[in-house]
Amino acid sequence: MKKSALTTSTIALIAGLAGTALADPGEGILTVATIGEPPTLDAMQTPTDIVLTIDQHIFETLFTYDAAWRSVPLLAADMPEISEDGLTYRIPLREGVKFHDGSDFDSADVVASLERWMKINSKGKEVAEIVESLTADGDNVVVFKLISRYAPLLATISQAAIILPSEKIGDELTEFVGTGPYLLKERKPDQYTQLVRFEDYKSPKGEVSNYAGKREAIAKEIHFVPVPDANTRVEGLISGQFDFADSLPVSAYERVEASDNAKPVIFENSGWASMNMNMQEGPLTNKQLRQAVQLALDPNDMMLAAFGDERFFSVDGSIFPEGYIWHTEEGVARYDEADPEGAAKMLSDAGYDGTPIRLLTSRQYEFHYKIGEVAKAYLEAAGFKVDLQVVDWATLTERRADPGKWDIFITHSNFPGDPTTINTINDNYPGWYVSDQKAQAVGTYMEATSDEDKIAAWAGIQTAIYDDAPLFKVGNFNGVSGVANTVSGYEPTYWPHFWNVTPTE
Amino acid sequence: MNRVVRAFAKRLFGMLIVLLIVATLVFIIVRVTPGDPAAVMLGSDATPADIAQLRERLGLNAPLIVQYGQFMLGLLKGDLGHSIFLNQSVGQALLARAEPTFFLTLFSILIASAIALPVGILSAVKRGTIFDQIVVTLTMVAASVPSFWLGLILIQVFAVQLGWFPASGYGGPATPFVDRLGHLVLPAVALGVVNSALITRFTRAAMLDVLGDDYVRTARAKGANERRVVLKHAFRNALVPIITVIGLSIAMLVAGAVVTETVFGLPGVGNLVVSAVLRRDYPVIQGTLLVVAAIYVLINFIVDMLYVVADPRVRL
Repeated sequence: MKKSALTTSTIALIAGLAGTALADPGEGILTVATIGEPPTLDAMQTPTDIVLTIDQHIFETLFTYDAAWRSVPLLAADMPEISEDGLTYRIPLREGVKFHDGSDFDSADVVASLERWMKINSKGKEVAEIVESLTADGDNVVVFKLISRYAPLLATISQAAIILPSEKIGDELTEFVGTGPYLLKERKPDQYTQLVRFEDYKSPKGEVSNYAGKREAIAKEIHFVPVPDANTRVEGLISGQFDFADSLPVSAYERVEASDNAKPVIFENSGWASMNMNMQEGPLTNKQLRQAVQLALDPNDMMLAAFGDERFFSVDGSIFPEGYIWHTEEGVARYDEADPEGAAKMLSDAGYDGTPIRLLTSRQYEFHYKIGEVAKAYLEAAGFKVDLQVVDWATLTERRADPGKWDIFITHSNFPGDPTTINTINDNYPGWYVSDQKAQAVGTYMEATSDEDKIAAWAGIQTAIYDDAPLFKVGNFNGVSGVANTVSGYEPTYWPHFWNVTPTE
Repeated sequence: MNRVVRAFAKRLFGMLIVLLIVATLVFIIVRVTPGDPAAVMLGSDATPADIAQLRERLGLNAPLIVQYGQFMLGLLKGDLGHSIFLNQSVGQALLARAEPTFFLTLFSILIASAIALPVGILSAVKRGTIFDQIVVTLTMVAASVPSFWLGLILIQVFAVQLGWFPASGYGGPATPFVDRLGHLVLPAVALGVVNSALITRFTRAAMLDVLGDDYVRTARAKGANERRVVLKHAFRNALVPIITVIGLSIAMLVAGAVVTETVFGLPGVGNLVVSAVLRRDYPVIQGTLLVVAAIYVLINFIVDMLYVVADPRVRL
């Protein structure tokens, strides 16, 4: 059941006037068409986009990201007190927060949850290496003691480090109990995941900014429905079956815009596409050849082929787009040159022997394939021999783990809260980017404790990345989704969220 | 009687051999296909160490012969395995998806038969007329139309334009059974229309074969009315090939409504197979294909039994 527009408007007005006061809860149901079924709801184990999208309604983290992707308190009561040596983080916790099972949230839950996170999550394992101890100081404070400074700590625990009741924690999660505005009522794989409003939810305070600020569970229920076929998501949205449809094909933009029932929503810079190069085996272990790849390619053509219209992408050499505190042109080189002749000279200088470049791409993400097709043309124009291998995503993820099986693979990522959590920077990520100048630049970053120092240090990392050429950044793309005209209050975010969203009849 | 029991036992033994071969082939094909469920499950952030750790936990690092032995031992105990992704047994996963697939198959075949049998019979009776030519042309067109394309057109007209039926899915948490069935109307029509083409052509051909036979001429000579001649004498004798094609259509619908289920977002067996293949959920792929093969074999067996009912001259 949904409530009337008048009631909704009144509620919105009262909520606005009341500042942080909770709105009158409604009876509406939001039906959200997602790109598929989440493999699990355990975000620590599998922090993929679809899992995080649903999970963020059920679980909360100590910190979350604001509009500039800075980490700000969520279950934490305030920003941490950091000792002068940068090795101790004292994090105060909010009081009066309850889990969905009625138990109280306290420091023991945080310690137990973060210990599990450091044991099973890939980012958590990295953090575990520099954590000397994690302890509770009373019921409402936890203390991280680090072995060495670690600038991305807050950003890292802002994502999949969900807080669970200590007594529910095990290697395998069997109960999905969190502190979020919605609780899990039922999950029928491939049919729906049903969340209902958590009546005892205690919202953080403050202005809404990305995932930060006040959270109100206005809709009584949210039903996440997996609809893997993108065209079916479009039709379901237009026909009024769905209140929200995620990840629509850009070709459907006009159709949704012209419909009476829904409107398209663009989320700018939802991610970036890249071509990652193999630095461990094969011809591209030669830095000059990797730089030749960068020089030869035309990101405009590649993005246009992939996304069809300039409304849906931007070409920008800075690894982070404008609007992020990490945006900088520092170090950008051989980007948007589209110079196959210059690249041909570099090939000659590097003594390229004509060994085919195995370019791995997938049609599971159609834009990966289109980027691959255009890249092949430009690389061949420069004199590379290119073996374009089109496989499904599961095959690609397996093949890229073996350095003997590829030279370039195409992928995409979101823009993380902390720049050093970009996959390529990790020595072990396929591509195996290991370099002294990167290690030095990352080391400088890790020592930083203020945003200013971090921003300056990140410029050094970006410079190293462009010089070492472990990847070619293709461009930034926008996400297109659709929201029913009957829904109000939806603000686009990378992982779409539906607190503060009002369904109406 | 002994002969029937012997024939039955022989057929049953044959079915078991077929299923054993299917189980083995599916196990091998799934394992030699590139792609790692652990890598898919952990997402693009996963490091090789994470993937290796998960593979170990999932038992994927065990030698293939050990995995095969475990799979076959499980089958002997009636255990199809445990899904890597769904946190439930393969049996439970299949049961949860049986309802939409069962009713989709049932409705599709009812729609197909309701169109095909009268049209095929009439077309044969009126052989060479404009009606017959129209039927022949339309069945050729319908047989060439992919069911998913027809499905998209039906969604466009009946869900988007007219709003009569939902565009996709199988209902939400509180959707009553009857409303859930409403979600099957459009996919059932899409599959039913496409399948009706084949059944119509078989019905027409089978009827044409028997309408020229002596006993039909004799029946007419004896003054039996045309309705009785066509339905009792001719149709009854044309049933064997018609039963065959309907049986095959049912078997193919159970196994192969994959694309239609995906287009309509139906949480059925076809959808389960597709997502399992994309995720490399080995136990689900193996278990589902084995069950589908068993249903296929069973339907063929039932079809063979029906031959005896339809034509007493047929012996097992």
